[in-house]
Parts: sequence; C-alpha cells; structure tokens
Amino acid sequence: MRRSGRNSLLALGDKYRIYIIFALVFVVMSLFAPKFFNVFNFTTILNAIAMNATVAVGFSVVMICGQLDLSIGTVITFAGVITMGLEPTLGFPGAIAVAVLGGAIVGLVNGLLVAKAKISSFIVTLGTMTILQGSIYQFSGGNSISVATDQAFSISDFLGKNLLPLVTPRILIMLVLVVVVELVLRRTRAGRNFYIVGGNKATAWLAGVNTDRYLIAAFILSGVTAAIGGVVSVLVSTAATLKLGENSLMYVISATIIGGTAMSGGKGGVLQSVIAIMALEMLYTGIILFGLGNEVKIFFAGLILAYVVLYEAYAVYRHEKTLGQRPELMKELADRLSAAKVKKSAGH
Amino acid sequence: MSEPSRAGIDARTLRTGSFSSIFNTVGVYGIAVLFIALGALLQLTGAIGNFLSPMNMLNIVDATALVGIVAVGMAFVTYSGNFADMSVPTTMAFTGYICIELLRYGFLVAIVGAVAVGLVIGVVNGFVVGKFKANPIIWTLAVNYVTMGVIRLVWVNKQIYPDMVGSQQHAVSLFDAIYRLRFFNLIGLPLVILLVMVILGQVVLTRTSFGAKLKLTGSSPRAAKLSGIAVERTIILSFVLAAFAATVGGLAITSLSRVGAWYNGAGYDFKAVTAVVIGGMTLAGGRGTILGVLGGSLIIGIMNNIMTLLGIGTFSQDMIRGAIFIIVVGFNALSLRRLGRDDA
Repeated sequence: MRRSGRNSLLALGDKYRIYIIFALVFVVMSLFAPKFFNVFNFTTILNAIAMNATVAVGFSVVMICGQLDLSIGTVITFAGVITMGLEPTLGFPGAIAVAVLGGAIVGLVNGLLVAKAKISSFIVTLGTMTILQGSIYQFSGGNSISVATDQAFSISDFLGKNLLPLVTPRILIMLVLVVVVELVLRRTRAGRNFYIVGGNKATAWLAGVNTDRYLIAAFILSGVTAAIGGVVSVLVSTAATLKLGENSLMYVISATIIGGTAMSGGKGGVLQSVIAIMALEMLYTGIILFGLGNEVKIFFAGLILAYVVLYEAYAVYRHEKTLGQRPELMKELADRLSAAKVKKSAGH
Repeated sequence: MSEPSRAGIDARTLRTGSFSSIFNTVGVYGIAVLFIALGALLQLTGAIGNFLSPMNMLNIVDATALVGIVAVGMAFVTYSGNFADMSVPTTMAFTGYICIELLRYGFLVAIVGAVAVGLVIGVVNGFVVGKFKANPIIWTLAVNYVTMGVIRLVWVNKQIYPDMVGSQQHAVSLFDAIYRLRFFNLIGLPLVILLVMVILGQVVLTRTSFGAKLKLTGSSPRAAKLSGIAVERTIILSFVLAAFAATVGGLAITSLSRVGAWYNGAGYDFKAVTAVVIGGMTLAGGRGTILGVLGGSLIIGIMNNIMTLLGIGTFSQDMIRGAIFIIVVGFNALSLRRLGRDDA
C-alpha cells in the first residue's frame, strides 16, 4: 500500500515534470536574478519565446510521430526572407501567403520522402536543410532584407501592443496555435492517431491508421508553424536577418525533449514543449541578467541539449536493462537472506 | 522493424557479395569519369575555360583531399549504422584552435595536443551513442553546439593566427607546411595522407576482425551483441576514427587558411556524408567500401570544381549538393528495399 502510494507520487512527478521544472526555475530566478521579477521582464520573455514556441508546435507533433525535423531553423529564416523580399511586389498579404505556403511545401516534401520513400527523417531533413540554406542565400544575396514602409512599422507596432497585460497579438497567435493543436491532439481521434503512429507503426497499421497520411500531415504542420514563426518574427522586427532561425533548432529540440516528448515517439504534447521553452528562456534571461555574456548563454544552451539527450538515452538504457527484472522479489530475497543471517548469528 | 525475412530474399541478399561491391566501387569511378567528360565537353563548347589544364586538375585533387580525409573517417560511423558524425565541423575548428595555441610549445606538442582533443570528442560521442544508444545525429549535433560554445567562451569570437606565437618560427613554418608541402612539386601532403588513410581504412574494413565486427554491428546491432561482439567498443572505435579524421582535416584546413576560426570546417559534415553516400555506403550500415568513399569524394571535388567554373555560387552549390544527396539516398533506400532490407 505504502509502496504503491509512493510510486503513484513518482509517476505524478514524472507526468508533471516540466511544470515542476518551470516552477523551480521561476522561483530560483525570481529570488536570485537581479531585476527578474517584474512585468517588463515577463513581457520581454514572452515576446522572446513567441517565435520558438510557435515553431515548437509543429516540431513536437513530428516528434510525437517518432520523427525529427532538422529543417525548422532554415524554414524560419526562409519564410522571413521570403516575406520581406516579396513584400515590394506582392504586398504583405501575398508575401506572407507565399512564405507560409513555402513552409508547407517544404513540409510536404519532407513528409513524402519520409513516408513514401522511407528514408529516415533526419537524413531527409538534413538534405532539405542544406537546400534551403542555399536558397536563402541565393534569394537574399547574403544580406538581410528590411522593409521600411509606414505599413510595415504599423504592423510591427500592432503586433507588439498589449491587448491585455502581458498579451500582445504576437503572443496571441502563438497561444491560439498551441491551444488548437493541443486540443486536436488530446480530444480528437485524429489527434490520438498521431500518438499511435509514433508509438508503434505496426500497431497503427493493424489498427487501420493511415500511417503515411499522419506522417505527412505532421511534417506539413511543422513546416507551416516554422514558417509562421519566421513570418511573425520578421514582421515585428521589420527586417529579416539570415541568422533568424540559427539557434532555433537547438532551442526547440532541447525544449521538446525537456517537455517530455520522447525522441522515440508516441509520447508528449505541444503545451509541455512551450512550457519548457519558457523555462529555458527564463534560464537564459537569468544568465544574461547575472551579467554573463551571450557566449555563456550559447555554451549553456548546447550543454543543456547534450544533457537532455544523454538523460533520455540513459533512462531508456536503464529501462531496457531492468526490463523483466522484479526488484520487489529481489528485495524480498535479500530481506529473507539477511533475516536468516540474523537468526544464524543469534543462534550461535 | 523489417518484415520477417523470407528464404528467397535471404538468398538474394547473400548473392550481392563481392561482385556487386566491386561493381558499386567501379560504378562510382565510372561516374567520376563521366563528370570529367562532362567538364571536358563543357570546355569544348566553351562554357568553361581550362577545365582540363594541369593546374585545375591539381585544384580538384586538393579539394578532394580535404573532403576525402574527413569522409573516410565519417565512413566508419556510417558503416557502424550510426548515420553520421555531425560534430565534425566544430571538431575541425576546435582542434585547429588548439593546435595554433600550442604551437608556442613546439610543433609536435601542438599536433599531439590537437589529436588528443579530437580523440576525446570521439570517445565521448562513441560512448554515449554506443553505450546508451542515444540518437547519433542529435547527440553529435549537441556535441557540435557544446564545442562551439567552448570555442566562443574561450576565444570570445576572436580568430587566432599562427604568426602571433612569435618565438617559435620553426613550428609555424612546419604548421604552414601541413597543407603546402608538395612532394615532387606536385603531390600535396593532404593527398598523401588521404591515400594512406584510404588504404589503411580499406584494409581495416575488409581484412581485420574489427572490420568484421563493424560490419555485423552495422548490419544488425542485436545480432552482433548476441554473437558476443563488444558492440559498444566497436561503435566507440568507429567514432574515434571519425574524430581522428576530422582532426586531421581540421589541421589541414587551418594550415590552409592560416587562421584558427570558429567557421573552419563549416559544411564539412554535409560534404563528407554526401561523399560517403555517393560512394555507395548505405546509411543503414554494414554496406560499402572505403575505396567507394574515395570515389565519392572525387565526385564531390569534380562537381564543385565544374560548378565553380560555371560561375555557380557557393550557395547554389549547396542546393544542388542537397538535392543530389537526397536523390542518392532515395535510390539507395529503394534498391535496399527491393533486396528486402529497410534502409535506416
């Protein structure tokens, strides 16, 4: 009875791990980091995560399907560069449409290659990443592109204006995406099928789930959310730099894994990833507030990713090693042996 | 993941023995010859100048040597069924920095120091991937970021030059010679290193017990484990070889550019994987030859040269390379599936 109580507490802790981490980081930073606990800083943090959180929505779904999308960083930059580069000819609505459509097409290509050609996803997306990297430089000529019209500035102002305390349209777009996708994943049959596809392809096939369709859908969603993240980000800054999505991949992968989405698939959620991104951002903001430089931040970001990957791999390793073992029986045996020993020594 | 194998499929798999591997290897060089013919044709039509000049041929060979050195090492990781070592770019940059920093203590110390650092990275990669079965791409990518963080932290975005070392002029000139030394005024040291590595690599892969273990590990880690092979040690060794090759490549490229910079080696991860894949080594592991990888590097070298002569920019070259990479991998996957084996 006692043991099962402890186990369920542990299971609960594991389930809500990311919220506990989030709370811990928040409390520690509030207590120790100078100038951390104030509304201005919170707004900064929320705005800073808007892009990566948007990107994490699609990325998490791909990872729930047991795949990886390494192209998200370049899709972000690509969408940003397209938006700013095509604005003079197409206007903002047209340029944004092209950018998002571009993201969807990249996702479609990734998805088709993974689902139909059966090439492993990180190899495919490594290829599309390189192709996109080339096209970004080809399109932009290696320079950042900015649009300095009144319209651009007014859009930028609008996206950064507080609708409610802490909530700007920029953050609202991210929140809507997160809530919608999270609800679809949790509440609809289609959503649950993503988990089945990621959990066990054979089971999914036997259950009559069209695996290929879900894989392709996941990659398209990832391309679209990455593009939206890039578009909104350049609309706010009115300029598309070529470094826009540079660190996003590292950021989003770490956050998604910390959030509890397993690399092997079939587990996780979108909201968790976003909470993890917030926790990471608070940590990084704290590093900067402590007066440490950007180099330290990059170093930490890499270290966190390495730690997270190692942690998950180790957990799987432990699980496989103890698979089929019955620790309670072993314990009972040890207890009996020691009891027998005590009896023996008492007998002497 | 693959379907239960049937007898017919097994027989076909077995039959793709030496003949097909010889054909694959020859095939790669056939493609290389075709590329040279393409270059010659383009020169005849006047689209590009002096493709066939000795100077340009030397350029191709030199470019091939740099990619090839890294690719030969990477091939062991691919062969072991772990796709690729993405920490290659920063391993190259980092060991370059280390070497230049240590030049003040003499040339030999610098080389030994750089190689030691490279080997440590390889051991770490191999241990985590081999022992804990971490996803090799993500893990090595993480190591790539960490190493980049270390470089930025230690040298704070500064580039360092060998000339700054001052008193050790002898060491500096030796360091410069890594890339510039030419035997008979023709054959560069990197090419010699590459050829030695290719021969050693081919011998290791086909004639040693390590090679046999690696083949089984790459084909089926479970079967390898059950037949008593120390799978972890085998994978560690393959990552160590990749890191060692990356270190050699890093020293060569740092010697070429005469500067320790964080961007040294950027893009070499992808170039090397492409060379490995074009060379007929499948990403599923356990298939391919080092001679094929040499051919793949040669194709990359010729292709880059033709594209540069045609005036295609570096970035468009990226696009073309990426497309070729995906096509080759796709074809590999397709032909493997015909043989009843899933690719990756």
